[in-house]
Amino acid sequence: QHFRGRKNRCYKLAVRSVRRAFVKSTKARREKKRNLRALWITRIEAASLEHGLKYPAFISNLLKSQVELNRKVIADLAIYEPKTFKSLAALAQRRRQEGFLAALGDGKEPEGIFSRIVHHY
Amino acid sequence: VARTSLTSPPWPEVKLPDPVEEAKYHTEVVQKVNKMIATGQYGRLFAVVHFASKQWKITSEDLIMMDNVLEAECGDRIRMEKVLLVGADDFTLIGRPLLGKDLVRVEATVIEKTESWPKINMRFRRRHNYQRKKIILNPQTVLRINTIEIFPCLS
Repeated sequence: QHFRGRKNRCYKLAVRSVRRAFVKSTKARREKKRNLRALWITRIEAASLEHGLKYPAFISNLLKSQVELNRKVIADLAIYEPKTFKSLAALAQRRRQEGFLAALGDGKEPEGIFSRIVHHY
Repeated sequence: VARTSLTSPPWPEVKLPDPVEEAKYHTEVVQKVNKMIATGQYGRLFAVVHFASKQWKITSEDLIMMDNVLEAECGDRIRMEKVLLVGADDFTLIGRPLLGKDLVRVEATVIEKTESWPKINMRFRRRHNYQRKKIILNPQTVLRINTIEIFPCLS
């Protein structure tokens, strides 16, 4: 690091490489936020798969049960607080099952409609 | 209703436990946790606090640095509201989304108010004789979390 070869000794080459280094650092500051969020998401996905849930199911059920924790904090909890993460996963699983039951409804047919099976021979 | 491939849903059928029994179990658990908090059988508490538009996972005696200015002098005690989660070794209290102010109390003091290291913002377009250089100094504040307390007022 600190500029390889003649870039750390000769003025003309050094000016160019230092300019490029500044520009790259400014762009990287914007990319850092995206990279960190992707890292948190992969960590949360791995931790929730250990508890038998996929990441989209986990996050959507957590949001539906009005728990607004961001991904950074959930990733930290998954690393340092496994019991708390397990309870969050259980909460998401329970909310998911309640959602399925609510989506099914009664299981009866609407009025004025009958259904029958047609056999082709 | 005739049985087709679409009558039963593709997910496995799960039966939820009985609501009455569940309510009894919930009250039992809540009383147990209340007793534990009242007798003080918890070790180190951690909390998740929403502060300065960011969420922080904090414990007692730890430092937090934020990239903005607080309107408090150095040495002022601050009480943080907007607590999202509180936990100890055996139990956690998850807020939906926030916990009550009569349940948790997070105290912090302002230690330092400095500026960040000089960050360089440079834009450059090659072959067009365009470069701009700007040095940015962000004001920062450092807080130390003194205590996190919980009170046994669950229901």
